[in-house]
Order: sequence, then structure tokens, then C-alpha cells
Amino acid sequence: MNIIKGLMLKDMLIFKFYKKNYIFSFITFIILIFITSFYRNMIITGTVLLLLMFGMNSISTFSFDENSDSNKYLLSLPINRKEMVISKYLFAFLTSFITLIIGLFTTTLLTILATKELPIIDNFNYIYIIFTAVTLLICSDIPCIYKWGVEKGRMQSIIVPIFVIIILGSIVLFLMLIFPNLYTFITSNLFYKYIPLIAIILNIIFYYISYLISCKIFNNTDL
Amino acid sequence: MNLEINNLNKQYKNFSLNNININVPKGKIVGFIGENGSGKTTTIKAILNLIKIDNGNIKIFNKNINKLTKKDKELIGVVLDDSFFSNILKVDDINNLMKHFYSNWDESLYYEYINEFKLPKNLSFKEYSSGMKMKLKVICAISHKPKLLILDEPTNGLDPIFRYEILNIFEKFVSNKENSIFMSSHITSDLDYVADNIVLINNGNILLDMKKDELFNKYGIVECNIEDFKNIDTYTYNLKYKDIYLLLIEDKNTFKKKYPKLIINKPTIERLLLLFIKGEK
Repeated sequence: MNIIKGLMLKDMLIFKFYKKNYIFSFITFIILIFITSFYRNMIITGTVLLLLMFGMNSISTFSFDENSDSNKYLLSLPINRKEMVISKYLFAFLTSFITLIIGLFTTTLLTILATKELPIIDNFNYIYIIFTAVTLLICSDIPCIYKWGVEKGRMQSIIVPIFVIIILGSIVLFLMLIFPNLYTFITSNLFYKYIPLIAIILNIIFYYISYLISCKIFNNTDL
Repeated sequence: MNLEINNLNKQYKNFSLNNININVPKGKIVGFIGENGSGKTTTIKAILNLIKIDNGNIKIFNKNINKLTKKDKELIGVVLDDSFFSNILKVDDINNLMKHFYSNWDESLYYEYINEFKLPKNLSFKEYSSGMKMKLKVICAISHKPKLLILDEPTNGLDPIFRYEILNIFEKFVSNKENSIFMSSHITSDLDYVADNIVLINNGNILLDMKKDELFNKYGIVECNIEDFKNIDTYTYNLKYKDIYLLLIEDKNTFKKKYPKLIINKPTIERLLLLFIKGEK
């Protein structure tokens, strides 16, 4: 565990390098969330941008590793490939999860401050959906980076998530054809109640499948 | 043996390592030389398990490299010419990371070296000169008290003063007769100074693997002009070097008898490297 903590610290130190940029961006988002909090349907805009920017930021640590060719050096230390992959996923999850918590907290707080009312439950559901979408992007990108690298895999990092979304969408449409009641369920109020649970399940599935693929790729890669 | 390579083979599209056999005994420094692209770095990558080998067997501390535990890996120190931590990190950041990676990381020894080699703590790795970068890499490789050092061009970019200092550290490192060093280097004068054994690789094949003293006793180098060269037929390799010819002499006694006027000089590793790789028979 100490090794994984060290590897995550290595990535966190990279964030320190961009400290000023992050503080500036974060303040901008807080202002955006505050402005939109007066318009109840727009309140999630800032949080969504926050999630997209900070949640996806863990990916940038790969380019720092690639620029210094760090993987070779790290593997010459008492670190194995599995620990390196785990640390990347844990770091990606924690970054996006902390961003989600900050987003939910600021959305609630600023809505109460601006309107003296609690945010409507739909706003939270949209945030969970966006969080899951960010997870899907992260989980599609990481195996691409392990396979092709950050620079060479730039195109694949765009194409693969689109491909995954098309496949997942097709599966849902196919299921709707087989089970006509599914559409009614998805559009029902009952479904909205289950969105947090569905988001948790999907997040676990995405991370697990992506982690297995990345391990397989990285274990067979010559450095 | 601290490191044993037996019949290592690795095939790439345009290059292959063929039946590489190298031993690094305890208490010895083995110098690994060869021109660019000869297979030095690939061999080091194979030792560090960074690439999958096609055939052969590599053992460190008498264990197959695939079976090394974390404790075993903590006894290895590595310097890679082209790979290190992210270049935005500073001396203190690297210390904090190494503490997580090595249970035997010696923080006080690390800072002792940092101060001794005058490395600035307020600059990031990318702001260092190439010599400073190499100093920090070497410090990281020795600050957890390893038993085996695997060094890829560790004196690259260093000024003569620091090279002298670092080579003394290497000599001291192996003086306990338990530790050993396997180092590749382009700066062959460093190996003249510290190496016990020399391994010469060319096009993925080992051309020479010998104790340095034996090598220097066995071979001699003769410098002669073109007229003398035309009359000589007792040499292993010859190489035209500026206006003179360099000859590698293996049978020194016969040569002395046949050509008493020509002086047989003690070889240097650089000249041996040149003659073995670029010389003609």
C-alpha cells in the first residue's frame, strides 16, 4: 500500500506544478455556480464543467510520465506493473470523486445562499450522470494510453470513447426492443430514484473492466 | 555472483541480442562497452525485466529475475540514462517519494550526498544541468544501500572532477567484496580507472569478456607509419587512425622478436574498442 501511496503522491506533485492555474479555474467555476444558482435549471453547469476539467485531469499525469520516460525508472525500483496500474486508477477515481463532492457541496450551498431553498433532486441526478460519463471517458482513455501512449494515442483516445458510447447505446436500444417496458421504466419517476445506485454500479463496472484491460496491455508491453 | 546472464536472446525487427552471457561477481565492477546501438541498453532493459526476452535466463542474487521479491529489488540501485522521475520534481519531492518506495531509504545519507555534490534544492530537475541531473540519479541509486548497481552511462555529462568523485564512490562501494556494479559507459577512460572486468558488445554479440588486467596483459597496441605497416603481418586487427596505423597485437613475444624496433604500448579500453569494432583483420 505504501508503494501505491507513493505513486499517487508522485501524480499529486504534478498537480502542485499547476497550482495557480487550478486555483484560478476553481474560483471561476465557483463564480459560475453562484451565478447559475439563481436559475434553478442551470445550477449544474458549473459543476459539470468542474467535473469535466478536474475529473479528467488525472489523464494529464500520463503525459508527464511519458515526457520523462518515468515508467522504465519506476519499474527498476521495488514497484511492479500491477501497482503502477492500480495507482493510476485510484488517482483517477479519487480526483473525480473529490471533484464530485466539491461540486455537490458547492451546488447545495450556493443554491441555499441564492434562493434560500434546497436544490431540486434532478440537478443531483444530472451530476451523477455526468460523473458516470466522465468515468466512462477516463476508463476508455487509460487503456488507450497504455496501448499507444499519450502522443501516439491522441486519436484513439477520442475514437475509443465514442466507439464505447455507441456500443453501450446500441445495447440499451437492443434491450429496449426486447423489453418494451424498459423505455417506460427509464422515463418513469421510479428510474430517477435509482440513478445514484445505477451510477455507482456503472462506475464500478467501468473501472473494473478498464483496469483489467490496462493490466493486460501493460503486462505485455516492452518498455 | 550478484548477476548472471545466460544465453540471453531477444529478437527485434532490425536487431537482435544473441546468446549473451555475462557474469558480475561479488566485489567487482564490470564495464559494459560497445558503440551506439550495439545492444547495451537492451541488455540492461532485459536485466531490469523491462522487456520480455525470447530465450535465456537472468539471475540476480541467484534468483531468476521473475522471482525477485520487493526485498530483493531493494538491494538493487539503478541509473538509467534516459529515464527518471517527472522533471518538475525537486530534491525534497524525490526524497518523499523514495521513502515510500524503499523501506531502507536513508534520508540522511541522501541529503549528505545532495550537500556534498552541491545540488540546489530550490530548482526542479528540468532546471538542472545535465551533470547535476546525473548526480541526482546516482545519489538516488546509492542512498538505499544497495548491493548491486546497474548503471547505464552513469558518467554521461559529468565534468572530470565529479567523474573522479563518483568513480571513487563506486570503488568504495565494491570494497566490501560483497557489492558489485554493472555499468555501461561510453567514457572508456572511466573503465580504465575502475573496472575489474570488461565486456565488449557489438551488433548484439559479445565480442570480448575478460578481466581488465588479463586484457591489458594479453594485448598490446603498436603505432606505426604506412611504410612499417606494409612490412608487418603479425597483428590481430589494424586501423588507420589519422596519419598512423594502430595495430592490435596478441602474441607480443613473437612480434617483439620479428619487429624489435617497434614499441608495443599498453592498450587503453578506448583503443581496444576501436580496434575490435572498426579494425580490419
